[in-house]
Amino acid sequence: MLEVRDIVKTFDGRAVVNRVSFEVRPGEIFALLGPNGAGKTTLIRMITDILKPDSGEIVLDGSRIGGDSRRQIAYLPEERGLYRRVSPIDVLVYYGQLKGLSAHAARSAGLALLGRMELAEWATKQVQTLSKGMQQKVQFCTALIGDPRLLILDEPFTGLDPLNTQLFEEILAERRAAGSTVLLSTHQMNKVEQLCDRALMINRGHMVLYGSVRDFRRQHADHAVMLRSDRRPGAVAGVRGIEPVDGEWKLMLEPQASPQSVLRDLVASGLEIESYSIANLPLEDVFVKVVREGLGLDHGQSGPPLPDELLKGAAR
Amino acid sequence: MNFSWRRALIVARREFLTTVKRKAFLFTLIAVPLYFGGVMALATRGQMSTRRESMRAFTRLGVVDSSGLYAGATREITTRMAVDPTEAPEKLETYRTAVVFYPDQARLERALRSGEIAQGLTISADYLATAVTRRYARSTGTFNSSSAVRPIERWLARNLLAGLADSLRIERATRPASGMDLYTLGKNDRFEIKDDRREMLEFMVPFMVAILLGVCIMTGGQYLLQGVSEEKESRILESLLCTLSSEELLAGKLVGLGGVGLALVAAWMGAGAALSAPMLAMAQFPLSPGLLVLAVVYFVLGYLFFASIMTGIGAVTNNMREAQQFSMMFSFANLLPVIVLTQILSKPDGPLAVALSLFPFTAATGMMLRLGTPSSAVPAWQIALSLALLALSGWLVLLGAARVFRIGLLMTGKTPNLPEIWRWARAGK
Repeated sequence: MLEVRDIVKTFDGRAVVNRVSFEVRPGEIFALLGPNGAGKTTLIRMITDILKPDSGEIVLDGSRIGGDSRRQIAYLPEERGLYRRVSPIDVLVYYGQLKGLSAHAARSAGLALLGRMELAEWATKQVQTLSKGMQQKVQFCTALIGDPRLLILDEPFTGLDPLNTQLFEEILAERRAAGSTVLLSTHQMNKVEQLCDRALMINRGHMVLYGSVRDFRRQHADHAVMLRSDRRPGAVAGVRGIEPVDGEWKLMLEPQASPQSVLRDLVASGLEIESYSIANLPLEDVFVKVVREGLGLDHGQSGPPLPDELLKGAAR
Repeated sequence: MNFSWRRALIVARREFLTTVKRKAFLFTLIAVPLYFGGVMALATRGQMSTRRESMRAFTRLGVVDSSGLYAGATREITTRMAVDPTEAPEKLETYRTAVVFYPDQARLERALRSGEIAQGLTISADYLATAVTRRYARSTGTFNSSSAVRPIERWLARNLLAGLADSLRIERATRPASGMDLYTLGKNDRFEIKDDRREMLEFMVPFMVAILLGVCIMTGGQYLLQGVSEEKESRILESLLCTLSSEELLAGKLVGLGGVGLALVAAWMGAGAALSAPMLAMAQFPLSPGLLVLAVVYFVLGYLFFASIMTGIGAVTNNMREAQQFSMMFSFANLLPVIVLTQILSKPDGPLAVALSLFPFTAATGMMLRLGTPSSAVPAWQIALSLALLALSGWLVLLGAARVFRIGLLMTGKTPNLPEIWRWARAGK
């Protein structure tokens, strides 16, 4: 679907995106993660052809980005706005026409989208009379109109109430079922865990994590298992510590111990086991750990200056 | 992305329709000509009405003749004058003033105070040698003290000469140069009669075209500035730029808002032509097609030049207020020739007028003013050079603006400094 190959983008001698490569598969919801200033927006702007990479290439369905293939992409930026003195349907007709629909087709598609977003009765009111949440839904419609194959959403859930969040999630699921691919950039890690199969995390322009979300959580978790049982387990070989976590027991394992051998010993001890799983680190903790420890960084020529570099600069 | 005129025209259509539907546009369309028309009508009508009123009120003139020269003078002054000089042919109105003699100044003053007479005149005993007279009035309007002077002058002259010459000579003596025409060297190198009214018309059309051109360029540019600033401020651009290229967006805006400017001027010119058609027809004034073509060419090139500058300003600034501060000096430059109008009229082929008509910032309005000045014969090479310079600089500014537009649209926060803008314009990064 989307292949990003070794792209680099430099501003004022600093690589804001530094040799980033990844692939987004057809029909998946792929997360783009990273702290503020990591280079996510620059990366998205290159995918949407708003900016050109200094080197590397971006390929969508086998064709390099830059031609009319961009018409297959829709982008809902984090900092977004709408024309305030026009109606939602006029905004959607405008966007629809720009995406190649006829005025009639754009109007039909726009009305259908507004209906799906529960905004049908607001279709002809001025945008400025709509609430912030309603405006956000209209903005979502501007991205959806024209049935793009790749949908890039930057913090789509910010400011939404739980009902509208659920509505957005349902629509994403519908789009996915219809064959669209979603690139989701967000700081809401629970949404990534819930919606995304795979993710890329960049920090200071570098790829620092890439792959399955489940794998990240395992890779960075402690060597431990989670146990739900009728009572606190007793001493078991290979377990160096036990602590209660949210109604479960977290068993910290010795480095050489395997979860399977510990499970065998627990069953043998006569413990009644309700559930047993390998402990995962919440994605939020993985995020914090990777960023705080600067994993995978070159600490040199990429990204914005580090805090200590800024301090040195100020001292000079 | 390949440039698509289809997408650019979708933007143009939206920009045009959104702008012309705005209340501000309708206000500009209707209120601006009404305001200027109203001011001009008030000024002209006011002046005419004052002249008419003062002549109507001048019904009786009291005279104290100490010289004895006017004992047998006529007891009525008949004045025929054109009150409204804009009417063609001049329509003359007749006013009659009775002349009443008083034996002394005290009685004359009493008559004036009581309203028996409108004005008083005392003729000194040695008038023939000294020409000393005094005119008395209860009051006069500001700058309006001379309204009855000419009729009195002619009455004095006519009655002084009565019996000394025949009526024809007396008439010539009182108005010796009433049939004098002035011949000046025209554009075709021949001496031609100078017709003030026709000259005024010949000047007014290009003058109005120049003013409209300036206003139109400024209005279109301001709409562009406002549009870009608003879109940037309201963060619409990023999602829009995912759908079309910055070049398509820029082209659409230039075409759409240029259309708004043209529509505005077309409506104003249409209304102006309809209202002034009888006057133009009576004066048999031919509207030069060449001049109109030049006006359109100057509009297109001038608009491209200024609109590109406004687009660049809109893209690099963070909000409308900041954008307007930067744009003000460019708008001022556009109308500079109108500000120095008197210098251009007095020396249409002088260095200042030539420079203003060649310099791209002032070329459109400057050249139209020169072309309109009756005594000016602008050489063809100057028109060609002016158009070439305007087209070339317009093209360069457009290229630079497109680059600045592409980068500046996504920049927020700090306004870039001049070296940064120059780098964007040159290298596009």
